[in-house]
Amino acid sequence: MTIIQRGLMVGVLCLFLASSPSLLLAQTPPGESSQEVITLLKEQNSKLSSDLRRIQREIAALRADLDKPGLKEVFAGIGYIFGLLGVAAFVAARRKE
Amino acid sequence: MHISDGVLPISVTVGGYVASAAIVAWSARRTRSEELPKLAVMTAAFFVASLVQVPFGPTSVHLIIPGLTGALLGPSAFLSIGLGLLLQSLLFQFGGLTALGANALMMGLPALVCGWFFQRYKGRTQLRQAIIGGLAGAVGTALAAIILAILLVAGGEDFFGVAKIALLAHVPVIIIEGVVSAFTIGFLARVKPALLRPSFLRPTKAAHG
Repeated sequence: MTIIQRGLMVGVLCLFLASSPSLLLAQTPPGESSQEVITLLKEQNSKLSSDLRRIQREIAALRADLDKPGLKEVFAGIGYIFGLLGVAAFVAARRKE
Repeated sequence: MHISDGVLPISVTVGGYVASAAIVAWSARRTRSEELPKLAVMTAAFFVASLVQVPFGPTSVHLIIPGLTGALLGPSAFLSIGLGLLLQSLLFQFGGLTALGANALMMGLPALVCGWFFQRYKGRTQLRQAIIGGLAGAVGTALAAIILAILLVAGGEDFFGVAKIALLAHVPVIIIEGVVSAFTIGFLARVKPALLRPSFLRPTKAAHG
């Protein structure tokens, strides 16, 4: 057995170990435990959909948060107010001269 | 309490714009150039006060402070509130741009009324000024709720139902604004009484600069 062959073997073994157990499960021939597979799939499905619901809720909350004015808007508004009234004061002062 | 786009019929919207434009023009003429810094500060305070949320049941309501603005600014309060509302609707999406006139009427008229009321009854002592200021702050918000109901009635709602809901929803705000206004005006009466003399009672000649 050459070094290359040995390396290949180790690599295949690693791949095998790294692949998830669900892959193993998928490889089991259908028929003998299809009922089991179906219940597992259903379980997975309900878990996924509940996860999805949670994420949708989070997105909605995030969107509500985004709608709220932040610090940037507050300072922008204060800047506008002072700026506009500053221009008004400038014009008023010029007119008085 | 801001009115959003599409709530009011077009006639009320246009009427609100016309009326508030006229009052803004009058308010600007009555504003003296020496008062512009005070106007700027109070406008900024009014603008930011709407971010102070008061949790109330499932929703939350926010401070409005028309009474305090009116008590401090007098006739200029309408100009200040108009500018503050314009920026609130542009930056915070509070109330629609089309309803800006109606919103300005809803919060500006109470400010003018409260300014007159405060000016008329404030007396001389600090305590009395604080109490009257607190009353003005509370009455300002209540009046705003009533004007809101009147405007919505023009849009075809039932007056007493809307008025009841608007007033009930703002009971906490009315109380908090009364307290905040009383403390603010009491503090100003002690520290800088000159700020509490808006120009309602001054001669109108040479009023604008």
